[in-house]
Amino acid sequence: MTVQQKNAQLITHGGHADVCLLLEGTWPYVRGGVSSWINQIILGLPDVTFSILFIGGQREAYTKRHYEIPTNVVHIEEVFVEDAWHFAPRTEQEASEGSVRDLQNMYRYFHHPQKPDEITGEAVLGSLASGQLTMQDVLRSRASWEAITEGYLNHCSDPSFINYFWTMRTMQSPMVMIAEAAARMPRARLLHAISTGYAGLAGCILKRRWQCKFILSEHGIYTKERKIDLAQASWIAENADEALNSSLDPTSGYIRSMWIRFFERIGLMVYRNANPIIALYDGNRQRQIIDGAAPDRTRVIPNGIDLPRWNPLRESRPQGIAPVVGLIGRVVPIKDVKTFIRAMRTIVTQMPDTEGWIIGPEDEDAEYASECHSLVSSMGLENNVRFLGFQKADEILPRLGVMVLTSISEAQPLVILEAWCAGTPVVSSDVGSCRELIEGGTAEDRDLGQAGEVVAIADPQATANAVLRLLGDPERWQAAQAAGVARANRYYGEALMLERYRKLYSSSMGTL
Amino acid sequence: MAGIGFELRKILARDSYSSTLRAYVYAGLLSAGPWVLSIISVMLIGIMSIGVVFPELLVRQFLVTTTYLFATSLITTGGLQVFFTRFVSDRLFEKKPHVILPNLLGIMLIATVGAGLLAFVLLWWLFDQPFLYRLLVLTNFVTLCNLWLVIIFLSGMKQYNRILLTMLFGYSLMVVSSFLLRPWGLNGLLFALLLGHATLLFVFLFDILREYRAEKLIAFDFLDRKQVFLSLLLTGVCYNMGIWADKFIFWFNPMTSEQIIGPLRASMLYDLPIFLAYLSIIPGMAVFLVRIETDFAEWYERLFDAVREGQTLQHIAQLKSEMTIAIRQGLQEICKVQGITVVLLFLFAPKLLTWLGISHFYLPLLYIDLIGVSFQMLLMALLNVFFYLDKRAIVLELSALFVLLNIALTLLSQYLGPSFYGYGFTVSLAVCVLLGMTRLNKTLDDLEYDTFMLSR
Repeated sequence: MTVQQKNAQLITHGGHADVCLLLEGTWPYVRGGVSSWINQIILGLPDVTFSILFIGGQREAYTKRHYEIPTNVVHIEEVFVEDAWHFAPRTEQEASEGSVRDLQNMYRYFHHPQKPDEITGEAVLGSLASGQLTMQDVLRSRASWEAITEGYLNHCSDPSFINYFWTMRTMQSPMVMIAEAAARMPRARLLHAISTGYAGLAGCILKRRWQCKFILSEHGIYTKERKIDLAQASWIAENADEALNSSLDPTSGYIRSMWIRFFERIGLMVYRNANPIIALYDGNRQRQIIDGAAPDRTRVIPNGIDLPRWNPLRESRPQGIAPVVGLIGRVVPIKDVKTFIRAMRTIVTQMPDTEGWIIGPEDEDAEYASECHSLVSSMGLENNVRFLGFQKADEILPRLGVMVLTSISEAQPLVILEAWCAGTPVVSSDVGSCRELIEGGTAEDRDLGQAGEVVAIADPQATANAVLRLLGDPERWQAAQAAGVARANRYYGEALMLERYRKLYSSSMGTL
Repeated sequence: MAGIGFELRKILARDSYSSTLRAYVYAGLLSAGPWVLSIISVMLIGIMSIGVVFPELLVRQFLVTTTYLFATSLITTGGLQVFFTRFVSDRLFEKKPHVILPNLLGIMLIATVGAGLLAFVLLWWLFDQPFLYRLLVLTNFVTLCNLWLVIIFLSGMKQYNRILLTMLFGYSLMVVSSFLLRPWGLNGLLFALLLGHATLLFVFLFDILREYRAEKLIAFDFLDRKQVFLSLLLTGVCYNMGIWADKFIFWFNPMTSEQIIGPLRASMLYDLPIFLAYLSIIPGMAVFLVRIETDFAEWYERLFDAVREGQTLQHIAQLKSEMTIAIRQGLQEICKVQGITVVLLFLFAPKLLTWLGISHFYLPLLYIDLIGVSFQMLLMALLNVFFYLDKRAIVLELSALFVLLNIALTLLSQYLGPSFYGYGFTVSLAVCVLLGMTRLNKTLDDLEYDTFMLSR
């Protein structure tokens, strides 16, 4: 274990930070909206020191950092949940009396079909935070075996015991592993988790240990995203032990519902512990309340972008409306690139000179990417649709006539704000805060006008029509551009967002 | 090994009295096989030679030399046998049958060189007998060491008729040639012994060479620690030392033994009853092999298939209880068959001894030895089940306990006097069997927990 621990602490000033950020599968390893938001916060508050607890799945999936570590980050601890059961030696273990109760509580809280009470949750947190519940207890003890088999006999409707058993292991051992990693963290004055899930769980554990405030900022809704992942089998395969991939079929009912329940219960635990609970827009705030967040703890802080940096981009725009439709995002199913390609078919039929650019890395889901390439050729769009790979947004955005977002799930996409600053109207699917962004939220906001158009999810025809309306009607296009610029500048500036978080941090820490 | 179980199931499937009998005879010969047949043949040679080879001491010298050859070769290779058996079955499980033959030749090379050196040093250092005698002892020893390694494969081979014929041929050759070589006295008899065993060794080896494909001549993969379990070496040595410990104690206690040839001593009093008793375990062995390799092995396979294929926990538990029943029935049948054999021998022992011309003075010792070897039979059955369930630690524990108890209790029995002779051996085995039963009980109780929670 020592080698692993050494590798995990890449910056070990052991410094006591102001804010401990709890991150799951994001900054500094993965590019994307959440990561750049985190980067913004850290760079934007240079007088605040941060420590990082990074939680990943497979160690191999996180080898290259895409962000430089700012100097106000004083400690990084990394934990990879796939390593979870490689550590426990194979000896029989008589668990102590306490552990028997702990393991039963663990089952009752995370896996029992009935919604658990708060007392059980607190008991589970207590045993995780105190280190009383060890990896040995979970992986090897008789008490654990009994808790698992009892659950199977009483509730499991999936016949395969080995599937059930390994699903339980895959769920339980990372929790202990995260508790162990949390125990290695140097103390900070405030906890800030950027999602529920494992990061949020780490927050709950550390809150117990440090007795400090715990802030939760959710960009998407973690539990909902996990449900989407679970619907697309590949995620379980990544997290399950290689050899068992074939047997852990996430589409089979009970195993899948166990996973969903597991993430819901973690979410519930995090909502009960965190205060405030921040959403990017009101739609998500409502969702958090439905999922168990107390309404008086919730609030909305939208994303902001660096206006002084983005506004000048408009000057580099070529004259007129470029006949270029761009989709900026990773080529993955959640971005629904295929709908974009199908929409391009209609657009190109109407306006043959139009080009469609797909701008984003294709390495995350190679299979999906190759399906997209095939779709382009089968629709005869080879001359109009181009895959550009990753490009710098500030270079590419001014060259687009319209930016399209076909995602089936988003929170509050920064790229929309960036597009506006660059003077590009946006056609987006009706997900996350996109309608609020494009059409305006408050009455005052709506008066600024439509900065593009909102269409239904996975509707290539509607998407194409909206794009054509903008490209084919310069007046309409100009109005949308003006609305976008105005809205971004009034409501979505980075300075505003940073100021809100600075206030939140200082009030939660006492002084800063 | 799977081969025998498969063959036995095929024979039993014919479902007639003659086929059932055939299965048991085959199983009995295979399992008790070579070394019980060796005892019988050697005794036959001894009996035939009485009155022909003079002086009679020469016959005793032959019998004692042979006994030492068996004892030392079994102890020397006992570890290798268990160790290599596991190596072979692991490779077969991995579907790599082509590595087996080169490794058999590798381990035989090591056994030959090792046993040869050991025998050379001991014979040169401890014996002042004629060169020819020493040479024959050495060659016999090396041959036996190799034979014990080769017979590991018998239960895995398919042409059982051929195996039985080979055995018949080898032992007949031994007995017949001893008859012809009698005029050359001790050396003649030792040469006959060598001829018989060497024939068995080379014919079996020939069969194995034919059965297994190989890509190279010789290999030493079994020296790779990742592919073997070193603790099995210790297990095998302990178990075989346990079997012989009481005998050696009786041979080297001046009160109970006499010098026979060179440094070799024997105990008239102790040896004869125990070797007679060993002949009584053939029926038990046959029953045991049939039960273990058919019923038990079948449920065992089904159980672990059920685990892997994702059956319900309830179904797994049910298969486990079926397997438990198979083990219980197996042990019960051993007890029944062995019990009847022992009772019959108790009844007829006096007549038998009279018929064999052996003094009734040996009767009490024969009785207790009969019980002792029956326990030994049960212990072997238990150890086999533990090997199946991969409980190597328990096998080692039982084997080590056996050798320690047998030494301690045999010494105690000598201290207590002649009426306690034989109790050391029997009581130590009884204790091991009882402990083995409790261990088996717990192992079966914890089987699912072990399989799932401790496997990886």
